Amino acid sequence: MRSDSASPPRQLVEVWGDTADTRHLAWAIVIGIGISLTGFLIASRILVAHVSSPELARAYAMLAGLAGCVLSGVICAFIFQPKRDVVEGAASDPAWREEVVAQLAEEHGGLGSMDDLPPVVAREMKELEIYELFAQHDPAHATNRKAAP
Amino acid sequence: MSAELFHQIWVAGAMGLVGAIVFAAIGLVSGTDETTTLAPLTLLVVLLGVPAAGVFTFFLAGAVAKHMTHAVPTALLGIPGDTLATPLLQDANALRKLGVPHIALRKMISGAIVAAFVAVPLAVLFAVMLAPFGPTITKAAPWIFLAAAVLIAYFSPGRWASVALLLPFVVLIIALQTLTAKYNVKLSVSYFLGIAIGPLVADLFSVISPADRGRMKRDQPRTFQLAPDVKGWSGYFPNPLKVLDRKQTQWTLATATISSATFVFSPVAMTVVLGELVGSRIKHAYHRLTTVLAARNGVTEATYIAEALIPLIAFGLPLSPVAAGPAAPLFNAPPRFTVDAATGQTHNLHNLMNHWEFLGYGMLAVLLAAVVSYPFAMNFARRAALFVSRKVSHEAIIATFIGLIFVISVWEGQFLGLLVIMTMGLVGGLLSRILGFNTGVQFMGYYTAVLSVPALLKIFG
Repeated sequence: MRSDSASPPRQLVEVWGDTADTRHLAWAIVIGIGISLTGFLIASRILVAHVSSPELARAYAMLAGLAGCVLSGVICAFIFQPKRDVVEGAASDPAWREEVVAQLAEEHGGLGSMDDLPPVVAREMKELEIYELFAQHDPAHATNRKAAP
Repeated sequence: MSAELFHQIWVAGAMGLVGAIVFAAIGLVSGTDETTTLAPLTLLVVLLGVPAAGVFTFFLAGAVAKHMTHAVPTALLGIPGDTLATPLLQDANALRKLGVPHIALRKMISGAIVAAFVAVPLAVLFAVMLAPFGPTITKAAPWIFLAAAVLIAYFSPGRWASVALLLPFVVLIIALQTLTAKYNVKLSVSYFLGIAIGPLVADLFSVISPADRGRMKRDQPRTFQLAPDVKGWSGYFPNPLKVLDRKQTQWTLATATISSATFVFSPVAMTVVLGELVGSRIKHAYHRLTTVLAARNGVTEATYIAEALIPLIAFGLPLSPVAAGPAAPLFNAPPRFTVDAATGQTHNLHNLMNHWEFLGYGMLAVLLAAVVSYPFAMNFARRAALFVSRKVSHEAIIATFIGLIFVISVWEGQFLGLLVIMTMGLVGGLLSRILGFNTGVQFMGYYTAVLSVPALLKIFG
């Protein structure tokens, strides 16, 4: 939706299931390591002197480190904008609907007959305005339908 | 006595509430794997000295809450909320393209809440039935782990390659253990976390390498369609049994029962297989989509609950994929909870809580997760998904996780911990991506190295 053509060219990569900018990614990693590890190391220095048991001191130091992780995440969320285009609203494309119905018809079990629908489900489909969509496709595919076991 | 019990319940309730709130939020962020989030935070709670009941409710309420809210990005954005949401994606996408993603979401979350409530008592029941075999199983543990590792490896995407890979992978772990032992450092969490975060580590190395970067490059950011939502009930707390029709409730209950009993299999596999079973029994395509989604998300809950609870209650040994991964700190969190490899001796929640406590606190955890997560996900799903996708960049998520691996590994073993977590992450991540040697098998490989190899050496050594 937004166009970023004015800014210097982005180097987008897909890492761990989503897109990120390589330069931003490098900075995010530096910030993540920097804040979390510093938080942890400072906390362990201070706590060892002030907490009675060393085990507990270590556990609290880890808590400080994890707080650092969350903090670095929040900072990065403020500095780096997401590289996603989120398109809002707009009822689904009619072509999409047809495509899905065609896809479902090809799958194992096919579309099935409207007669097989329990009344509750038929009502639900009418409320969602998809009853007609499936009903249109029914006779065409009824012959292909495999008998249910 | 009763004051003590009251105090314990109070602590358990408070910890359960914290777990439910934290993990309901984490569930909204797509791609936050269960193991990478549940394991370290539960470990932290253990090491902070929280009483046994509190540790247990924290973990369980967190897992249950996350498996409800993970449906939000899955249904509304078309990206899986976590590993267990992947089998739900295809059907959820079909409903999204039909223009009714909110239906997908509601069926999923309602299936989850119904299944969670039946899974706890069933898991406790199965565990009590299995408990008499506990001592035998404990004694045979090294061999059971070995057999389970081979079996789980064969059923991973790598098939025979994964089975064969167990050998070099176990050698690598033993080599790293020998290295750290030279400096009197003994690590466990670093191995787990390294395995869990492996895919991220491998991807980061690929991005740095000019040879592999081309594969990762993208010209455009990913586009997500966020569909409108329609509220179909009045008030804040909808009734899940009204969201599901009778057939859907029946199938959800049936699959939840089956997946509560089959606690040794991979949760993803159970979710896929039971979904197929339900799908083959429903004639009409639309009804099939919604019913399969309800049942599948129910299975993600039930199998998680059972896989954590049954080994914990019956044996005290992490004998399931969930127990070996995300629930690992309930079994093994030295110095507080320990599993002795040589003798099969345990000191963990298994020894600290009785059957009735597991049942009572388990139900409490599910109740808290239901109260926090269910109405939140039903009412605010769309706004939450919009917020996360618009405001939380992927860089921010990666920064948090990189910080996490550094803190945990340095906490556990200073520089050696960091070396181990990087090595395990890189090797594990690459093996998983290239050869289909997935994280589940890698966890079993770790247990083979820790439990089976010493037993083998005793015989042949």
